[in-house]
Amino acid sequence: MRLFKQTNIDFLGKRKIFYLVSIIFIVVGMTVLFIKGIPLGIDFLGGTEIQVKFDNPIEVGELRNSMDKAGFVGMEIKSMGSAADYLLRTPLQGEGQTVADKIQAGIKDNMPGKNYQVLQVNKVGPKIGAELRKNAIYAVVFSLLGILIYLALRFQFVYALGAVIGLFHDVLITISAVAIFDAVFPMLQLEFNQQMLAAFLTLIGFSVNDTVIIFDRIRENIKLFKNEDIEDVMNKSVNATLSRTIITSGTVFLTVLVLFLFGGEVLRAFAFTFAVGVITGTYSSVFVSSSIVVDWRHHVLGDKHKGKIAVNTTKS
Amino acid sequence: MKKNLFRIILTVVFIAAAILYLYPTYQDQQISKELHGLTGQDSLDYVTKNADKIRKSRDGRIKLGLDLKGGVYVVLDVDVVKLLQDISKKKDDPTLNQILNDLRNVPETSDEPILNLLKARLKEKGLTLKSFYGEIRDDENDVEKKLSTEIDNAIDRAVEIVRNRVDQYGVAEPQIQKIGGKRIVVELPGVSNPDEVRKLLQGTALLQFQMLKDPETAVKVMQNINSVLVGKGVTDSTKTTAELKKDSLKKNTESLTSKDTSLKESSGKKDLKKDTTKTKKDSDKKSTDTTKKKDSDKKKDTLSNIDTGSTSDTSAANLSEEEFKQKFPFFYLVRLNEQSGTADGYVRESDKEKVDLILKREDVKAVIPTDVMFAWSQRSFETGGEKIYTLYCLKKDAELTGKVIEDAKSNIDPQNNTPIVTMSMSTEGSADWARITGANINKRCAIVLDGVVYSAPVIRSKITGGNSQIEGMGSIQEAKLLEIVLKAGALPAPLKIAEERSVGPSLGEDSINKGLTSSFVALVLVALFMIVYYRVGGGVADLALIINVLFVMGIMASFKATLTLPGIAGLVLTLGMAVDTNVLIFERIREEMGSGKPLRTAVDIGYKKAFSAIIDSHVTSIITGIILYQFGSGPIQGFALTLLFGIGANLFTAIVITHFIFDIMLEKGRHISIG
Repeated sequence: MRLFKQTNIDFLGKRKIFYLVSIIFIVVGMTVLFIKGIPLGIDFLGGTEIQVKFDNPIEVGELRNSMDKAGFVGMEIKSMGSAADYLLRTPLQGEGQTVADKIQAGIKDNMPGKNYQVLQVNKVGPKIGAELRKNAIYAVVFSLLGILIYLALRFQFVYALGAVIGLFHDVLITISAVAIFDAVFPMLQLEFNQQMLAAFLTLIGFSVNDTVIIFDRIRENIKLFKNEDIEDVMNKSVNATLSRTIITSGTVFLTVLVLFLFGGEVLRAFAFTFAVGVITGTYSSVFVSSSIVVDWRHHVLGDKHKGKIAVNTTKS
Repeated sequence: MKKNLFRIILTVVFIAAAILYLYPTYQDQQISKELHGLTGQDSLDYVTKNADKIRKSRDGRIKLGLDLKGGVYVVLDVDVVKLLQDISKKKDDPTLNQILNDLRNVPETSDEPILNLLKARLKEKGLTLKSFYGEIRDDENDVEKKLSTEIDNAIDRAVEIVRNRVDQYGVAEPQIQKIGGKRIVVELPGVSNPDEVRKLLQGTALLQFQMLKDPETAVKVMQNINSVLVGKGVTDSTKTTAELKKDSLKKNTESLTSKDTSLKESSGKKDLKKDTTKTKKDSDKKSTDTTKKKDSDKKKDTLSNIDTGSTSDTSAANLSEEEFKQKFPFFYLVRLNEQSGTADGYVRESDKEKVDLILKREDVKAVIPTDVMFAWSQRSFETGGEKIYTLYCLKKDAELTGKVIEDAKSNIDPQNNTPIVTMSMSTEGSADWARITGANINKRCAIVLDGVVYSAPVIRSKITGGNSQIEGMGSIQEAKLLEIVLKAGALPAPLKIAEERSVGPSLGEDSINKGLTSSFVALVLVALFMIVYYRVGGGVADLALIINVLFVMGIMASFKATLTLPGIAGLVLTLGMAVDTNVLIFERIREEMGSGKPLRTAVDIGYKKAFSAIIDSHVTSIITGIILYQFGSGPIQGFALTLLFGIGANLFTAIVITHFIFDIMLEKGRHISIG
């Protein structure tokens, strides 16, 4: 079976349109993010959260009232998929008789007869929260840096730069998507937590994967078509790898979709983030990373002549 | 073919290894399945009968993270402010307390060390650290340095205290880890009451010096317990201890002797704090050898005295193992060693719990005198492949608490190159210590932390200067541990909970079900797609996919890694990526065939040309995986780990396994359809 015949699409010729699409999306996303703020989870925020499951469905209002009475006015109460599952969260975290105990006492005292089970309790101190935040940023920055260095060694610096800008683009797009979806579909419970961080780093790894495979083909084709313009060589390479790109992205997207649908509450944010990442990662490999290499050549180096664009072939 | 032979052998070896490593996990599941069907006595019998098998499978199985199993995860931080309050020489000074209270409210996110902040605040008021933490002659910088080491060492003490308590709490597979030099991560799987855990971890440690009961009394108490177990009255104790012991020795305990430690006046100068006054009394130092001999001789005598007092039961020595178990159930579990001249009971690790249960029985408690208690040794030694713990019989009332200890230091005795621990006491404590040691020469004194005996040295001489030396430790590590324990009694190690997560068992079960379902569904879907799209080639890739999963799980088991929910996600993702490698190769082969090359050549070229892309893409994934492992915590590290293992396994299966399968098929002249 074959889904794709030999294609010959002029991807790079339309790069200005795609730049625009990306920029618009990022601008919208950043605006939403700016207005709404980043939806941070307990890991990065610090505080106490407790997830309870009542034996029978209850009214949120009742739960809210009981929390107000227990001294937790305006506590964040989220329904977790059903009218019996709730996540209660507060930025507070005490020593001694901890906040989680007080919350439980509040439920017991004010909602007598409503039996429930504690599914999980998380308490993160402000220092740990700050540290996790810091580590998350470090993790993203260092992995981008690591990839930049490795690709600069394997290809040329321009390619490494193109790839990393593509990755940065993916991260921005995905953050934007998370912010937009969180604003439109709050029931998805999207928020930045440790799992989301894992999703971001995996999407970086996945997206660079895609980019590298296209670059690898460019590296090979430049040797074969020494007298052609870089833009043509790149177009040829993108077309040659297109079938693989779509199939791989398709299967990975399929697995992530399965995680999103069947993986449960805990993995949902992860799966969503990564699903967005797969799409933008594939898109950026074709339309951003390669385009940037071409534009860098054309505008920064003023290099429009045929046959002068060699990648580092000695190490391939 | 030769090349293929090597590949085949390599593959077979790896698959065999993976299966070998995964067998305990399978066995463990079978066992819990079988146990599930049994109840009451049946399940107890099953556990006793298969104890060895159960233990082995439990050790080797893939461990499940707290998010899958339920349990409590706690990160502990040393409470520096509280520590500074506790070790201050002027605890009630209002100025100091005021400053410390202020410091407590300093935003915890500040990275400035508390000690620096305290110093600065004191300076504002014209005070120095020295006035609260040092002696008059001390240099301010030295005091600061000393405090800073004290804070650093607090974590080691805390780790030991926490470990000791968690061990006693009896959680299966607890994990206690020191991370980043200032935090402790405690993982208690299966525990569902965080409140209890909090109490367990945050209470103050209690170090005590308790005298051992003299051997004859101790043996008598044990005999009485034995009588209760046999069902006879207490007065009816007619067993000859000598024979009894001889017998138990014969059974399997010939080598049961823990190292004898001893306690004597210290003559060391450099080891201890500068300002402590020492009395050098070399004359007091008796030769260890002679005292030890005398000591045991004396005890042997007294023991034989008991023997003469008892009626003869000469058959005891000739009892079979089974008969011995019947007649002396307590001594069957708690073995004594006659030659040692002590009443230390040696208990196999597997019997420890049984002994604990016996000691908790009401009828047994009734025959234990009120001034006597039993306590376990912290250390164990190994005989015949099993760990042996020591059960000590102690006087219940402590002679002294660890508060009097001012300093302790482990060292190597320059005279005979053996590890020693020196300990100095406060003036007040020294007086008590002199009285205690003076009255108990040649008796043994146990060093007990939170109810567990860390060492039970023989007192060699009256120690008057407050400086004692403990010798006879087996290794420098052992000495170091004792140093930490002694300091734990002297110095507090207040802890605060920085992070706490608890997952109820039902959520864990739910997660594992959903995780496994999604993994399975994903695997099936991808496999189906591959067969539809690439036909035979897809089938080979699917085989590689299954082997890939086997490898990842095998590596997990061999590394004793923990499987977490994000770990399962990582596994699913690896499957997606594993497919990518094959897709890359197959597309390349199709391309080559498209340009008119024969299949054989196309396969070779396809693999060759795809190689550089595969390497580059895998290396970049490895880079992000390592960074994720480095900066992530807990479950996220589990994700990074399965991802990394998956990438490794993937490289092997895609490049080696599928390639040789193709090679063999082509050699046999088969046509391979890749769609």
